[in-house]
Amino acid sequence: MEQLPRPHPRPDRDTSPYWEAQRAHELKFQRCSDCGESRFPVTPTCPACRSFDFEWTSSSGRGTVYSYTVVHHQTHPAFGVPYTIVLVELEDGPRMVAQLRAPDGESVGIGMHVRVDWEDHPEQPLPVFVPHS
Amino acid sequence: MTIRNKTAIAGIGQTEFSKDSGRSTLHMALEAILEALEDAGLKPSDIDGVVRMAANDDVFEIDLLRSLGLPNLRFFAEIPHGGGAACGTIACAVAAITSGMADVVVTFRSLNERSERRFGLSSMGGGLGGWMQYYLPHGLVTPAQWVAVFAQRYLYEYGHSTEEFGRVSVLCRKHAATNPHAMMYERPITLEEHQASRWIAEPLRLLDCTLDTDGACAAIVISAAKAKTLKAAPAYIAAAAQGTGSRTEMMTSYQRPSLTRLEEAEAVARELYRVAEITPADVRVVQIYDHFTPFVLMALEAYGFAKPGKAPELLRGGRLELDGEMPMNTHGGHLGEGYLHGFGHICEAVRQLRGTAVNQVADVNNCLVTSGTGVPTSGLILSKDAY
Repeated sequence: MEQLPRPHPRPDRDTSPYWEAQRAHELKFQRCSDCGESRFPVTPTCPACRSFDFEWTSSSGRGTVYSYTVVHHQTHPAFGVPYTIVLVELEDGPRMVAQLRAPDGESVGIGMHVRVDWEDHPEQPLPVFVPHS
Repeated sequence: MTIRNKTAIAGIGQTEFSKDSGRSTLHMALEAILEALEDAGLKPSDIDGVVRMAANDDVFEIDLLRSLGLPNLRFFAEIPHGGGAACGTIACAVAAITSGMADVVVTFRSLNERSERRFGLSSMGGGLGGWMQYYLPHGLVTPAQWVAVFAQRYLYEYGHSTEEFGRVSVLCRKHAATNPHAMMYERPITLEEHQASRWIAEPLRLLDCTLDTDGACAAIVISAAKAKTLKAAPAYIAAAAQGTGSRTEMMTSYQRPSLTRLEEAEAVARELYRVAEITPADVRVVQIYDHFTPFVLMALEAYGFAKPGKAPELLRGGRLELDGEMPMNTHGGHLGEGYLHGFGHICEAVRQLRGTAVNQVADVNNCLVTSGTGVPTSGLILSKDAY
């Protein structure tokens, strides 16, 4: 377990723009140019109308906690416990997973309002969510 | 025309389940397969098809054919998505046999999951593509953690406490306690012990999570007509199906409208009942895939035994006990017997139909078997009679 490096995304020809935007601390998602449907995870075609045409649209990064888990049992050397993972329903986009950064004593709950923040890592900056009133 | 009762499981084999097998996965696969052949009264040279589970298994058809001295396999395939594949290997064998592409198909699972590669620990690091790139970099790295996100939502939407998860574990450990083959033989637990067990990933505790196991299982699938002429009583395959739902991923299907419904299990259920021409009310015994307790509750709902959010009532009412209306996981399941990714459930279903199970249920005419939850999945309805 000690030798296992921290996981990071390996962008490919479909997902590179998603991760490139995050290098600039921007959260962007695909929206179909033909029918307007948003989609995530990244994929070449619109699941609603099968169009290959899409735009990358910026998200406000604000949303609410749809579900979460507090991890107590360490299973990967890169992630010391405890830590909280939230599944956030963005106000203008899909649900996405990231870690929660909350002040000590502030407990997580479904419905909690959050906004995106950024943490830099050697391979790829990653979004985290912080409480937002 | 459907596949109903056109094929049967004619033989099963199983090694001991342990924390350290002391031998290779190939060694154990061969033991289980040879035992299944012996059980059916068939010879290795009768095998002309192999279907394996694709994920996390080191034993390939080329290893089997050289070890068993088979001159030709005319059908071989593998089914993806971990434990979702178990009943799917049987479904694939049925497709091969009913289409005339094979006569005797071996399916199996062999793992040193406790002594060599523990599934409860993440083995993924560095650059990741595919679905994993969206979850693992954040520290959401194991099945327990992926499933916990669904489980939290289930508690929230229906107002349940984690005691409802605990009752699943208590039931499986109770059945394992009287199964000498089980890793948890003579080791039942109480609900209090469940509640006192440590957190793994909230709301999952240690006693909500499957065991890691070394062992192997195998099954032989053959036409119903040939099965009738063999040694063991046939377990007729009344239905076998695979299914997916909307936006199905590997336990991270977080974009779908509801996180408290198992859409892929609902799809398999519809197909199984259609092909077998029975309803949930007709099911006598169930072997429900139990890697994590919350998904057992959601699976009971998906297969039509309870309305959404109401599966806890089945457990509270004693309906899934050995003397209940529809006993569940009579061998102890993954939580009590051991974790062969759903294959132990298939073997137990065959024993219940034959009347040879250690926790034998009276008058078993059929048994529903389900495979991995939260992933593209599969299921079986096995029948004592070819109706």
